[in-house]
Amino acid sequence: MIRLERRTSQPRWLSVAVPVGSLIVAFAIMAVVLLASGHDPWSTYRKLVEAGFTGNGALSATLISATPILFTGLAAAVAFRMELFNIGAEGQLYLGAVGGAWIALQLGDRDAGSTAVYVVAMCVAAAVTGALWALIPGVLRAFANTNEIITSLMLNYVAGYLLTYLIFSSSSYWRDTSTLQARAFPQGKPMPPAAEWPTFGSSVVLPLGFVVGLGVAVVLWVLYARTRFGFEVSVIADSPRAARYAGMRTRRKILAVMALSGAVAGLGGASQIGDFTHTLDGSPQGLQAAAFGYTGIVVAALARYNPFAVCLVAVLLGGLLNAGFTLQGVDFPSGLVGVMQGIILFCALGGELLIRYRIRFPRRTRVTTDGEATPEAV
Amino acid sequence: MRGITKRFPGVVANDDVSFEAASGEVHALLGENGAGKTTLSNILTGLYRQDEGEIELHGRPVRFTSPRDALDAGVGMVHQHFRLVAPFTVAENVVLGDHRHGHRGFVLRGRAIERRVAELGEKYGLGVDPRSRIWQLSVGEQQRVEILKALYRDATILILDEPTAVLAPQEAVALFGTLRAMAGEGKTVIFISHKLKEVLAVADRVTVLRAGRTIDTVAASTATARSLASLMVGREIDEARPLEQSRPLPDVLSLEVEELTVAGDRGGAAVRGATFSIREGEIVGVAGVAGNGQRELAEALTGLRRADRGTVRVCGKVLRSGDPRAAISAGIAHVPEDRLGTGLAPSLSVTSNAVIKRYRRGLSRGPFLALGRMRETALAIIRRYDVKTPEPSTPARNLSGGNLQKLVLGREFEGEPRVLVVAQPTRGLDVGAIETVHAYLREASSRGVAILLVSEDLDELRALSDRIVVLYEGEIAGEFEAGEATIEEIGLLMAGGRGS
Amino acid sequence: MINDSLMVVVLAQAVLYGTPLLYAALGELLAERSGVLNLGVEGMMLFGAAVGFWVTQRVGGNSAAVLALAVAGAAAAGAAMAAIHAFLTITLRASQIVSGLALTIFAGGLGLSAYFGNELHLADLPAKHQLSSLDVLGLGDLPVVGPILFDQSALVYASWLLTLLVGLYLSRTRLGLNVRAVGEAPASADAMGIDVVLYRYVHVIVGGAFAGIGGACFSLSISPGWVAGDVLVGGAGWIAIALVIFAFWRAELCLVGAYLFGGLSALPFALQAHDVTVTPEFLQSLPYVMTIVVLVLVSTAVGRRLGAPAALGRPYVREER
Repeated sequence: MIRLERRTSQPRWLSVAVPVGSLIVAFAIMAVVLLASGHDPWSTYRKLVEAGFTGNGALSATLISATPILFTGLAAAVAFRMELFNIGAEGQLYLGAVGGAWIALQLGDRDAGSTAVYVVAMCVAAAVTGALWALIPGVLRAFANTNEIITSLMLNYVAGYLLTYLIFSSSSYWRDTSTLQARAFPQGKPMPPAAEWPTFGSSVVLPLGFVVGLGVAVVLWVLYARTRFGFEVSVIADSPRAARYAGMRTRRKILAVMALSGAVAGLGGASQIGDFTHTLDGSPQGLQAAAFGYTGIVVAALARYNPFAVCLVAVLLGGLLNAGFTLQGVDFPSGLVGVMQGIILFCALGGELLIRYRIRFPRRTRVTTDGEATPEAV
Repeated sequence: MRGITKRFPGVVANDDVSFEAASGEVHALLGENGAGKTTLSNILTGLYRQDEGEIELHGRPVRFTSPRDALDAGVGMVHQHFRLVAPFTVAENVVLGDHRHGHRGFVLRGRAIERRVAELGEKYGLGVDPRSRIWQLSVGEQQRVEILKALYRDATILILDEPTAVLAPQEAVALFGTLRAMAGEGKTVIFISHKLKEVLAVADRVTVLRAGRTIDTVAASTATARSLASLMVGREIDEARPLEQSRPLPDVLSLEVEELTVAGDRGGAAVRGATFSIREGEIVGVAGVAGNGQRELAEALTGLRRADRGTVRVCGKVLRSGDPRAAISAGIAHVPEDRLGTGLAPSLSVTSNAVIKRYRRGLSRGPFLALGRMRETALAIIRRYDVKTPEPSTPARNLSGGNLQKLVLGREFEGEPRVLVVAQPTRGLDVGAIETVHAYLREASSRGVAILLVSEDLDELRALSDRIVVLYEGEIAGEFEAGEATIEEIGLLMAGGRGS
Repeated sequence: MINDSLMVVVLAQAVLYGTPLLYAALGELLAERSGVLNLGVEGMMLFGAAVGFWVTQRVGGNSAAVLALAVAGAAAAGAAMAAIHAFLTITLRASQIVSGLALTIFAGGLGLSAYFGNELHLADLPAKHQLSSLDVLGLGDLPVVGPILFDQSALVYASWLLTLLVGLYLSRTRLGLNVRAVGEAPASADAMGIDVVLYRYVHVIVGGAFAGIGGACFSLSISPGWVAGDVLVGGAGWIAIALVIFAFWRAELCLVGAYLFGGLSALPFALQAHDVTVTPEFLQSLPYVMTIVVLVLVSTAVGRRLGAPAALGRPYVREER
């Protein structure tokens, strides 16, 4: 019989050892899955590391994959920290892309500005649209006490259809209608060249979006660890009743945190457009199929909602995504990456137990009805 | 039970405890809070497993691995915190988990069960409508349901953990009658209490526990309150004596409450037109059976609950209703009934909890926290109020009940309040902690803090209060000056009898 | 013929599209009544759909037997997924919300379902067997009610029986009483000798099996076949979770809600067939928007979450001080 005892103190080394251990266990389980489906785990893992990190140009590609999930991971972490389960980062990212694209096209129409102006304007517009979209479930939660998990998730589908509508079913501002071909095969208007975000480095290419994400992570860390706002969030997360008792304004915090979370996810949308696609991608097989929002939840949970850890995990999972994309084929069937993410997350969740509880194997003796005592093997 | 030992992380709750109870006997387990009575009974009912020792029932050794084993063996228990399912009916609660009827009992036959419950109730004087839902019942009626649950299963041993804590004195007397009747039928009743007089009134024999060990078993007929008390505490004690006469108090009103009406959780008024006031430095006790509006009154005064009607004035200024922040800035401190969860954020550090109300004033620079000053403030509270914690960064939930209460009290006093609303300040604390908490309250009152003390412990109310008001169904049923109130008078009002 | 009118077609489709919602909602209802929130419904449905379709491809023989086996396979797949959630949340006390989300990602359209489907090349295969409508009582030609109620697949008829059984189980049996107690007040249930852990495991896993069957409704009946991604189920799992909330945790109301949302899901297809032109994206997002609207109405009109098991979402730990 195993017994769990709540730890009275949590040693520091555990918060490193447990996630690393979980990762090892996850890859061991994954190896079993691979073996069972007729793949050689060792060579799969070797290819994975090569395609994700060590190969030629692999790291640059990994950073491209890591950028959007860095934003959605931070977005999830920000909200989940207050036990506010915003799983709408997916839709908030789309809306950020819509807002970012709109301002870039507007500026382009007016022939205005340098790249710096574009970057700032796109970030602001995307953050605002993302935040507004996130405020829908936020307001409903704060004023009608409606479950934000379901509302934010439902809005992902709505945002997806909105995106498709803008490019495929309407002659919207975002759609390219300049040529006959563009009218037959719907696509978004191309951004002006000045709206393309710069990159850094040569051997490893670092997109500006990733740098912005790192900056956001630092700001969020300061906000949560060093400010009154962060203190209030931690109290509300732990005990809403205690927060109310202490005179904290819970409703305002819900709105603020949802808006913040949506804004961060929205920035991810701006970065998609500015860094990579340079047009609003409305196709269900494009932005919508990437599921950055959902992967962000995995990132945030693995990072235990710590903004700095999110940066690290985003790169790791970005490597996995990138490798999965590069290797896709017979040896590396699609879906494998999702399975791996799921297993890693399960192991991390199970590992939480070891951080919170101590596992004991108490010795015990079983007394039979004759009163004879037999020690039971443990 | 022989040689029972039970350890929890960091504590030995039972250390080689032994006692035996005969059929047809009311056997009391007497001990202070924290003496290990509840742990012992949880072992006897299969909720916990002992680390060492054995249990014999009717001469045969038994080993309970789950509550089901204990129930099947005929051991029933009335827990201090009732184990009832609030949305269920009485009958549903009574049959819950009953599996003796095998496949024939698959379908729930409501009528038959209701009839059986009604019969049992009549036989033992435990009248309660089998079709009422638990949340509609008073606390006393809920306790009857708990006893009916055991009787329905033909329990031969019934354990009651502090059953009188939630009853008015007159209700307690009725309960004693039921227990004696059960013993008269040959059942064994184990009565757990820390109250000497009750134990003497109901028990045949008394086993005294202290600090997790058995001290002695004595016959109630040969024992006196004094002899039991010295066994229980390990030294001679003076019984808590009520304040003999009123202290001289300044004629300054700190808190004035007028015609306050507050809705309860289930709709309907929980507090009806309460009017009273508290002078500077005065302690006003609120007596009442649980669920008569005490909690709602405390919550309304501290802003946690919006009042429907009436006004509250603090030092002459009207208080905005339903706004905890307004109450805090008006100088109302609050020690809530639920320390861990409302009074404290359990997973946050002692430091964070120490400044949970003060971080807005003085402990921040603009939007940023002044972490150094927060820590200093926390350390000052820890030192001054003797909060025993391994580290200031330890999560609050790891502290013992007494230290949690000291932390809450210390934090509230540091805010230099004018009014303190304190609910059940010593519930679940051990003797030493109770004395400390009482000393802190007296000290605060001597500094001029007006205190509203809500408690279900009449001895505590009488020991601390200058005045006692009795709440019955949300109304103030009566008011007594210190010294003029007898337990019987207060009890009569608590039970709904109109007094003078 | 009135039976070809748009109204009747939409209502018949409402029953068809509502059936997977009903199965999934009944499954979630069982899990939640025992106190465990399982947000992995979407994933369990997708995996159930994939396994169900795979069985129809692999097993030969009589069509009815193959389909019965396929439904059983889908149920087993859903149950297996639910077992992971049960282990993590009940035994390892992980957060039910995060674990459920993890299950959706693990089992969902970018995870195990896709892996399974792609490894076995399910996407290229035409459906060999599919659940077609059975006019069991010979009432299929009745005006209006015929096509709506009596010309449906066996899974539809079975879902009515299941609704009845789940409803009676929860309200009229001792076991059902115990389940409700476990979800409302696990400590009380435990004190009365009810094995809280066992009850929760069983109901989460059986609930998962129902979700798996719900998934099979899509791959065997609504759009026979398998496609990668999550379009096959398309958020039905999430709508099912919302359904439980606005059914106030009651089986019979799950049925009403399921057909309401089935109707909304079916609307775009029915209108298309009748050449009514409305922006397709608008119609497609209707079920999701309506889910939000109804949830808001329920939470504001009723105030508290009426009928919600009090211990929903909370792990039960007995021996702790």
